[in-house]
Amino acid sequence: MSSLVDIPIGPQHPAIKEPINITCYVDGEQVIGAKLRLGYNHRGIEKAGEYQTFIQNLYIAERICGICGIVHAFSLAQATEDIIGKEIPRRADYLRTIGLELNRIHSHLLWLGVAAHEIGFDTLFMYVWRDREMVMDVIEEFTGNRVTYALVTIGGVRRDLPQEKAEKILKVMDVLEEKVKKYKEMCLDERTIRVRCDGVGILRKEDAIALCAVGPTARASGVPFDVRADDPHAAYDEIPFKVVTYDTCDVTARLLVRIDETLESINIIRESIRKMPSGPIRARLPRIVPAGEGVGRTEAPRGEVFHYVRASGSEKPFRWKVRAPSLANFLSVPVMLTSKGDYVVYIADVPIVFASIDPCMSCTDRAVKFVDVSSGKSWVWTFGQIKRIYWRDRS
Amino acid sequence: MPIFREVLKTALQKRATILYPFEKRDVPSDYRGKIEIDYDQCVGCGLCSRDCPSQALVMVTLSNGKKKPKYFLARCTFCSQCVESCPRKAIKTTQVYELATYNRKAEVVEPCGTSR
Amino acid sequence: MTQELTAILGILLFPGLLFFSILGLFFEWIDRKFYAKLQNRVGPLYTGPWGLLQPFADFVKLMSKEDIVPEGADRPVFSSVPVFALTLTFFATLFLPVCGPQGIISFEGDVVVLSVVLTILVILVFLGGFSSASRYSEVGAERSVLQLLGYEIPLVASVLGAAAITVSTGGSLSINGIVEAQRDWWAILGVQALGFAIFLLAAQAELERVPFDIPEAETEIVAGWTTEYSGRKLALLRLARDVELAFLCGLGATLFLGGPQPGPLVPGLGGVIISTMLFVIKSVAVLLLLTIIRAAMSRLRIDQMINFAWKWLVPLSLLQLLLAVVVPLVTA
Repeated sequence: MSSLVDIPIGPQHPAIKEPINITCYVDGEQVIGAKLRLGYNHRGIEKAGEYQTFIQNLYIAERICGICGIVHAFSLAQATEDIIGKEIPRRADYLRTIGLELNRIHSHLLWLGVAAHEIGFDTLFMYVWRDREMVMDVIEEFTGNRVTYALVTIGGVRRDLPQEKAEKILKVMDVLEEKVKKYKEMCLDERTIRVRCDGVGILRKEDAIALCAVGPTARASGVPFDVRADDPHAAYDEIPFKVVTYDTCDVTARLLVRIDETLESINIIRESIRKMPSGPIRARLPRIVPAGEGVGRTEAPRGEVFHYVRASGSEKPFRWKVRAPSLANFLSVPVMLTSKGDYVVYIADVPIVFASIDPCMSCTDRAVKFVDVSSGKSWVWTFGQIKRIYWRDRS
Repeated sequence: MPIFREVLKTALQKRATILYPFEKRDVPSDYRGKIEIDYDQCVGCGLCSRDCPSQALVMVTLSNGKKKPKYFLARCTFCSQCVESCPRKAIKTTQVYELATYNRKAEVVEPCGTSR
Repeated sequence: MTQELTAILGILLFPGLLFFSILGLFFEWIDRKFYAKLQNRVGPLYTGPWGLLQPFADFVKLMSKEDIVPEGADRPVFSSVPVFALTLTFFATLFLPVCGPQGIISFEGDVVVLSVVLTILVILVFLGGFSSASRYSEVGAERSVLQLLGYEIPLVASVLGAAAITVSTGGSLSINGIVEAQRDWWAILGVQALGFAIFLLAAQAELERVPFDIPEAETEIVAGWTTEYSGRKLALLRLARDVELAFLCGLGATLFLGGPQPGPLVPGLGGVIISTMLFVIKSVAVLLLLTIIRAAMSRLRIDQMINFAWKWLVPLSLLQLLLAVVVPLVTA
């Protein structure tokens, strides 16, 4: 124990795409423990949101994250529509679903490439990103831009999906399904990948539940949390899909969960295009939002994303709070990186383990301290309390 | 191992890289690029400026007393919310995306005086 | 007088330092282009025709950058490692036969000397990493020595086993003898095929390329043992790595593919130009094989690498040594 050295990984490091600091305590090549430090990417978005109108905030919400932008815009729109209390047209729900699932596919393919790069397998990285270009082209056709979709607006969506574009999407989905199935085979058969990912980064089921892991991180440990199934929104109540879980709790399981989810998303998109009703794509909702509170949540590629909006009867929100999924998943990282008994973690495992929770620092860095302005009290909610208050309908 | 076959097969395929700027791809016809303002149609209501998320459109008063929007290209996020907000449909989206420039002055589009 | 002059010109220009520097840069270009082709991309394209000057441009750029020595580093050791590495690799290339059956230096037992040189190179890596006084370099240096423990025996065994082919011509431990013995029949077409495969894997580990680039793992420890090197020292280190690549490919071509000889179809030796071309072509063939291995595998963990080396490579290399000695004796 006296030979413990701590190796800092980040905030500037080739393995980490966004600034974060993980300090690993190592003994030779073995990692004994890890400590996380966040906050390098704090941009003051929630405060800036209080000075902009709801319409402007939609575009700011989209820029919380480059990879999963539409999820934040959708959650904000859902929270605002919750306050106003009006229904949006059914066709808009289906179009939003297609946007969300296209985002999920591109995000999972991006992650697959990055994970391959972390274990030194650059060839797979290049191949997967080449195929991801097909998805980006489809997204550009559908929404007008590759990264910041600007598709969702309060009351519906801004663009319709004409028949030729729907045909194009279906054709690309067919080609993509072949390629993703081939990548799944490659990941299952390739010895060098299996040897780096099997039994690495174990997060047991009890730990996953106790540490509030969400998304594929939890589902790879056998915990079947999926907001699309538990709290159906958009068009998910009418489209059947499978909640993918695996039991092995390691990095390979997270890899397989994401690949299987990509295949499920392809099916969801096909079903949505098939079942889409005709009708208007947006409802004219008032600019001035009446006083009240609203909650919007959906399943981002990384887990459950949660927006809370409090309006006070003006054009601008009174308070806007975002809880991104990566924040919930970060607590699991020190547990995954601690060597205990038979389970040994090496330095070489740290990047792939950290990458397996699909960290998105842009989504994450917002404060967790709560201040009640009217009474001047400030407090910090523990995750247990938050769970009890917000997840009570699940029990 | 299957990856060897895949790797050798790829060596015989054409490259996936597009040699920009010598080869260019076409963007879709409704791609959201730079906006174009028709100052004849504009009545100076200011709705575009109110809805712009990044203050890229700022209303200025011209010498003939009319109010028109001044477009700051460097602040624009190309969301085309102004296109929707304008009640007279005076703003249009173009597909121009090659907007990098060394000249700061080229980034500001001043409104010209019009007959309305 | 003229003999000394030709000798010095030979060492400095052809086939010595200048030739192998250019060959090293050329091999880096081939490696990058072929690696990119295997990944459906393009590789260097705009610097010079087809990007040929890209490695040279990288070298010149690094030479012109600021050279920083960390404060806690062991200055004499830190600064001399790149120079020693480059000198040692150049010295090793003087043994390779490029334009004739003999290298510039050739004596009985030079195969053994080459094995020692390869090991000393790894010791230099360790010294370089250890004297850098940085956590990342220490881990990289320690990993390089661990890796050496794994692949040194297979490398030496395959190189010495290649000398067993000279049993039919009287037995010799010099590269000259090995090349002469392959006049009619390349070594790889016989029992040395296994030796060639082991040599390829061991060379990949010596060069620290994927799947064995553990000491220099970019995503784990920044740049491993070369983290703190910058400017001119880094330029010399990278040139040393390129020349080492050319050297090991050339060694593979010499020991297993017949060197600069055209046989087995066309026995006899051509002139200087034909021999050089044959040598380069065969080395490029070995390089392409190394690049395919690099493209198709991911990086191993150090414990997995040692496991693999001792469970598979070492027994196979000893088996191959046995076969290489016994089979010619039995069939002779």
